[in-house]
Amino acid sequence: MTTTSAESVIAPARAKSAVVSTTVRRKQGFQHGGWFVAPFLVLFALFVIWPLLRGVYLSFTDANISGDGASFVGLDNYRDALNDQAMWDALGHSAYFTLLVVPCITLLAFLLAMLAHHIERAKWLWRLCFFAPFLLPSTVAANMWQWLFTQGIGLFNHTFGIETPWLTDKSYAMLAIVITTLWWTVGFSFLLYLAALQGIPGHLYEAAKLDGANAWHRMVHITLPMLRHITGLVVALQILASLQLFDQAVVMMDFGPGPELSTRSFVQYTLEQGFTSYRVGYASAMSIIFFVIIAAVALGRMVLLRNREEGTR
Amino acid sequence: MGRPGLSRRQILGGIGGLTVAGSFGFAALGTGADALASGADTRVRYWNLFSGGDGANMIAMLDSFRKEHPDIDVKDSTLQWGNPFYTKLAMAAAGNRAPELGVMHLGRVAGFSPGRLLDPWDMDLLAKYGVRKEDYNPDLWNRGIIDGKLYALPLDIHVQLCFYRKDVLKKADLLDDDGRMIQATSTADWFDVLKKAKKVQKKGLQTIGLWTNDQNFQWWFFVAFYTQLGGEWFNDERTDVRFDADKATQVLEFLRRHVTDGYVIPGAPTGEQFINGAPFTWEGNWSVPVFSGAELDYGATPLPPVFGKQATHAESHSFVLPHQGDRGGATNEGAHELAAYVVKHAQQWAAGGHIPAYTPNLSTAAYKKLTPQNEYVSAMDHQATEPKVWFAGSTGVLAQDLGPMVVSSTMGSAKPDAVARRMKTELGKLLASKNPMDGKTAAQGGAVA
Repeated sequence: MTTTSAESVIAPARAKSAVVSTTVRRKQGFQHGGWFVAPFLVLFALFVIWPLLRGVYLSFTDANISGDGASFVGLDNYRDALNDQAMWDALGHSAYFTLLVVPCITLLAFLLAMLAHHIERAKWLWRLCFFAPFLLPSTVAANMWQWLFTQGIGLFNHTFGIETPWLTDKSYAMLAIVITTLWWTVGFSFLLYLAALQGIPGHLYEAAKLDGANAWHRMVHITLPMLRHITGLVVALQILASLQLFDQAVVMMDFGPGPELSTRSFVQYTLEQGFTSYRVGYASAMSIIFFVIIAAVALGRMVLLRNREEGTR
Repeated sequence: MGRPGLSRRQILGGIGGLTVAGSFGFAALGTGADALASGADTRVRYWNLFSGGDGANMIAMLDSFRKEHPDIDVKDSTLQWGNPFYTKLAMAAAGNRAPELGVMHLGRVAGFSPGRLLDPWDMDLLAKYGVRKEDYNPDLWNRGIIDGKLYALPLDIHVQLCFYRKDVLKKADLLDDDGRMIQATSTADWFDVLKKAKKVQKKGLQTIGLWTNDQNFQWWFFVAFYTQLGGEWFNDERTDVRFDADKATQVLEFLRRHVTDGYVIPGAPTGEQFINGAPFTWEGNWSVPVFSGAELDYGATPLPPVFGKQATHAESHSFVLPHQGDRGGATNEGAHELAAYVVKHAQQWAAGGHIPAYTPNLSTAAYKKLTPQNEYVSAMDHQATEPKVWFAGSTGVLAQDLGPMVVSSTMGSAKPDAVARRMKTELGKLLASKNPMDGKTAAQGGAVA
């Protein structure tokens, strides 16, 4: 009797305490988690969200660098930007650079990854060679190649016995920047491809071999399809990075816009408007335009890819 | 008793917290702590853009000021030159966090919103510390005056020079009895000089280093020779462009011919080739310490007067008073005293190649002994400068827009006459455009003496 009553008293209490402790734990968990995330959230809000909103606001004003005395000008900055030939030229240069870099870097990264994947001897050396340039700061890479390309004393012309004005003629300047960029950044895409190659199950190749597929067939029917996703990723990342062309071009052209303004990128022109011409409102409007362009490209790629994937399914 | 009631984690946390709190505390104390540490009553913050040899010279001058004025604590900060410097200066002045003293290129002062971002100099205070208008070249002094007030106190002028190797020119018989370069007074003369020098120079080097693909240098050379031709920019009211496309074409063709006649290796480094034996290079006077350090037998003269009249491109490092809402009192007086001191004691500065702006410096025996400085000191009297408008000045909008055009002509990717016409169109656009600092065009702006 006593035992039973004691148990009957204790049991609900236990059950209750179990409920309480779960709630407490959940609450505590939330509190701890919140505290862990808070520093990031604060910094993100302070250095990303707030500047972004501020930028949008400034783009509707005629603000200058000193930050005071700005008045609201509506869409004037946007109208001016769309009528600004120099802005379109700069956008054209960024797009041209992207068009040159993206296919080259994708192909090159794939070939280098294949090479590093299949070579048996001194694997680490190949990987190091292909990836190492990516670790250099852009200024170092750009300065090195500026030397190599210099007419008259540069190693490039000397090696090939030519007299090409790489950095001083508008027909070559962008090409020189593209070559530098390929060398400097291919390592990253190379690494992605290498990881993907290593992830393809070996039994697929064995089965194909048994069925009599030669190397070419194995490449076309196994390797390439298995790398489709990583190719999509490489292309997307490269498009976004290339559109933001700035540092290597600026350093290689001695902080100028290149021969006949031929290498002035959109980012560089925005910077000039904001920090040389002090037109902060106008530069903000240009940044927003650029943001929209990049977002559209990223979105376009996503939609395209989704359709293609749905098609294959 | 047992263990104290604190865990290791709590102790570590406590120390960390104290450190953070302490650093906030010191940051808050900031200025006061500095002044206490030095024992001085007055603290003058001074922002400059001098690095390298110039930086070392400036610090030496500041140190001698400190020694003579223990009551003033000079706190100098060197920032990266060019646009980053001007951005910081403008934002500090607008946010009322401006230092007591700053440095600017004289050509940029008109566009820097005098009266809003800059405060005018107190002429009585300057006079008290020994600097008067009479001690200056009038043209230079007037460039610092806007709306009748002095906003920039020049420390120096720095000019574009024609450096020449005496050892090479001697072989080519191009030196006079004093061992100086025979002056060319026409373009034909000049190319004759180059031809003779090329015959005796080391093979594989260029005859002259011209910075053909540098928008700043090409722009400076253009300004120099355009001024030699007596070219104008705008009318006095700054409502009309008076840019002479024919004269500009002559200048552009002259610069271009150095490349077509094979005297320049485009893109080749100028200073290095000069040190290795190239007979000529056109460079800023800041290269003097470099070439003297390399112990070359060389001379330096203003750019040759190939269009008949002496004129070489000149800019000036000037002291300015960034705007402070409550400017005045001992710190303001300290800023005046420091600027006046540096301007008057610019002998050390002259060693860096710059021509001191304070003219009594130029007649001292010590200055007259400086070579090659004494060969180009005349440049003070024939300065070629950009027009006094808001968009002009070192690395300013004008140089940024027109410099690349000059480069494209010199490098041969565009025809000189077409480029000259484009320059004129661009000048028209700039003249009509508004200064983002105050929303006024050059015609409405206050940048008038």
